[in-house]
Amino acid sequence: MRIRLAVFLALFFGVLASPTHALVTDLSNRHIEIRYSFSGADLILFGAVGATPIGAPHDPYDVVIVVRGPELPTLVRRKERVGGVWINRHVARFPSAPGYYAVATNRPLNEIAAPTVFATYGIGYENLPLVAESPRGLVAPDPNFRKALYRLRSEEGLYRQGLDTVNLISEGLFRTDVHLPANVPIGEFQVDTFLFQQGSLKARNRINLTVGKEGFERTAYTFAHSYPFFYGITAVFVALCAGWLAGVIGRK
Amino acid sequence: MTLYLPIAELSMNVFIVLGMGGLVGFLSGVVGVGGGFLMTPLLIFIGIPPAVAVATQSNQITAASVSGVVAHWRRGTVDVKMGVVLIVGGAMGSFMGATAFSYLRALGQVDLLISLAYVLFLGAIGGLMFWESVRAIVRAHRGYVPPRKPREDRHKAWIHALPFKMRFRKSKLFISALLPLAIGMFVGLLSAIMGVGGGFIMLPAMIYLLNMPTNVVIGTSLFQIIFVTALTTVFHSVNTQTVDIFLAMLLLPGAVIGAQLGARVGVRLKGEQLRAILAVLVLIVCVKVALGLVVQPDEVYSVADVDETGGQH
Repeated sequence: MRIRLAVFLALFFGVLASPTHALVTDLSNRHIEIRYSFSGADLILFGAVGATPIGAPHDPYDVVIVVRGPELPTLVRRKERVGGVWINRHVARFPSAPGYYAVATNRPLNEIAAPTVFATYGIGYENLPLVAESPRGLVAPDPNFRKALYRLRSEEGLYRQGLDTVNLISEGLFRTDVHLPANVPIGEFQVDTFLFQQGSLKARNRINLTVGKEGFERTAYTFAHSYPFFYGITAVFVALCAGWLAGVIGRK
Repeated sequence: MTLYLPIAELSMNVFIVLGMGGLVGFLSGVVGVGGGFLMTPLLIFIGIPPAVAVATQSNQITAASVSGVVAHWRRGTVDVKMGVVLIVGGAMGSFMGATAFSYLRALGQVDLLISLAYVLFLGAIGGLMFWESVRAIVRAHRGYVPPRKPREDRHKAWIHALPFKMRFRKSKLFISALLPLAIGMFVGLLSAIMGVGGGFIMLPAMIYLLNMPTNVVIGTSLFQIIFVTALTTVFHSVNTQTVDIFLAMLLLPGAVIGAQLGARVGVRLKGEQLRAILAVLVLIVCVKVALGLVVQPDEVYSVADVDETGGQH
């Protein structure tokens, strides 16, 4: 009986909290393959709002798109001067940090909604629930290390915030470009689209994106990590053959 | 044209890599050494992770040494027995070096190890060579010829006092096996840590410590380098998965062609001039690496995937 009530309540409030707008999105490519000539990829994300029982959105709306890459254990190290030499001295270990994180908006985040709203939904790097390992268990990381992670990954083009624009096209259509750099990590990506109206969330939608190493590169990478001994032997064998060939050709 | 390197996990312009191979090959051809000590810092400089640069260089040096040993083998200027003793020592040294390498990589200190090793050895070798070659040039200018000591005198007495004597027919030597074993081990250690063949240590050690005849020195050194760098490649592959076959093979053609061209220029120069050029190159690399250690970096933070630091899954 209790469970039934709980289910009923959940359904009831679920319906109440359900989006007032239909939101549909898609990517120009849902599966990216890193090949030998991979120098990054630009995807087009497009979406449509409207056609709900309530009707097309008459009021102006805002779109926030968050692309999040595979979560990986990550180390951030800080150098310090020891005896005149700069060496890695301090380390923050994040058991899980996104390998790629991009936020695209149609106008600056602070104009769309209040910071507390974004904090609720975990939108924006500053609202990512990052934790660091410590002898006392998981703790909030040193803000300097957290900022350093953002800065370094931004330089590599892996974290992008405040750079990409969502273009609102008429009749509830919008689009944006997703820039994946050459060094993008492989794995599953989530593309979350949030629709805001007058500072509150009206609809959200998630689609997935896969980045994989394909062909020869994938084989080489997998081989090197799964059978390191045979990879080493192969590397030596290839070197012996190539070197011998070069020696024979070089003499002529 | 860019190429994605699967182990280094980044895209590189093919022509930059080929050109670097050619440039280092040319310089090493002129002065007659392998050039690993130039290539590894250069790879690090263009953005290859230091651990990948070192491990990949071992692989590339195997190939380059094979291409070089072919001619020496035909001329019969390889002392196989001496080579084998050096290789046994080299295997032990390489194993120790690769173990230290992967241990320090997990601690995030492998870059420091590589840099310190470069500064220390290049500084010492470059300084000695520079001093010696400048003195030789000045003497040649004045027409002074140093009196040549007989071979027996140059051989130090303590070397003959060591046990486990072996006869090396091709080198016309009857000396303790411990000495080449120790030299091999030391060079193997450096090979694993610095991504070099170690010719710049091995050749002087063979000439001055072992007192080998100069005609078998280069062939035997190359022969030894093939096996030691091959072992180093396998050790690094198993411990840290940092050997990038693609990068190694991209560096090879330029290195081989460059070395052929360089050797033609090299024969026109005098020995002491070559040594002076080599010494200057060694010192430049040394200073460059030393500055990287001492000067305050623009960014004191660095990011690494735990997966990349070796076996911390």
